[in-house]
Amino acid sequence: MTDETNDKDGKKDDALRGKKNARWREDFPVEWERDNYVTRREMVKFLALGSFTIAGANAVVAAIPHVVKASESPRTKVALASSIPVGGSKLFAYPTEEDPCILIRQPNGDLVAYSQVCTHLSCAVVHSEKENALFCPCHHGYFTAGEGRPYAGPPSRPLPRIKLEQQGNEIFAIGVEV
Amino acid sequence: MSSRQAQGTTLFTALLALVGIGVVVQLWLLTASVDALLRRETGTALHAALGSAIVFVINGLLVLYVFNFDRKIKQR
Repeated sequence: MTDETNDKDGKKDDALRGKKNARWREDFPVEWERDNYVTRREMVKFLALGSFTIAGANAVVAAIPHVVKASESPRTKVALASSIPVGGSKLFAYPTEEDPCILIRQPNGDLVAYSQVCTHLSCAVVHSEKENALFCPCHHGYFTAGEGRPYAGPPSRPLPRIKLEQQGNEIFAIGVEV
Repeated sequence: MSSRQAQGTTLFTALLALVGIGVVVQLWLLTASVDALLRRETGTALHAALGSAIVFVINGLLVLYVFNFDRKIKQR
């Protein structure tokens, strides 16, 4: 009974004060329009903060190659030098078992190794002895065997190169050049 | 609104536009440096980071200047 009386009184008050000064507005003083309103000052602060964030992100991107170089790579035996003839190739995994790589002996006798994952859409590249190139059969991308640089087809980035070290007849993978 | 306040409003609007342009330039530098990183060109990323830092300093100085201007008007 008392609640009903209070409700009625409240409605009467609202009616007396008019819609703009309704009683509930005292409890919820923020208006919808003001809630969405962004001042120039707030916008400038937001942009300055954004500027700081982007500058930080840029610094992180610039630091990535140095950090990656600094991190230690495992030293893994990948093949015997005598087992790869001129123009031949051998598959191995480095630095983990999930990272397929390819070792190639070039016509001049030099040994080079690359990640076998194509930089276009991650298909496995194969060695083409005839063209002395690495060929991606999925979209017909070609990489030079000497440097791993793309020269035909859709790939635009070179293959990550595997650093090699030869000790006697044994060949070791010692790092990845990103 | 006094002439000084009107001047302040114009200054804020101009600054907003300048800082906005600076942020767009920084975004461009960021995309360029990520692209360079993926192409293994470390030098480009370093220069982009330096450029971005300079733009940030300019933005920061502009914001500080206009907030100081605003404070002076309020003190009067």
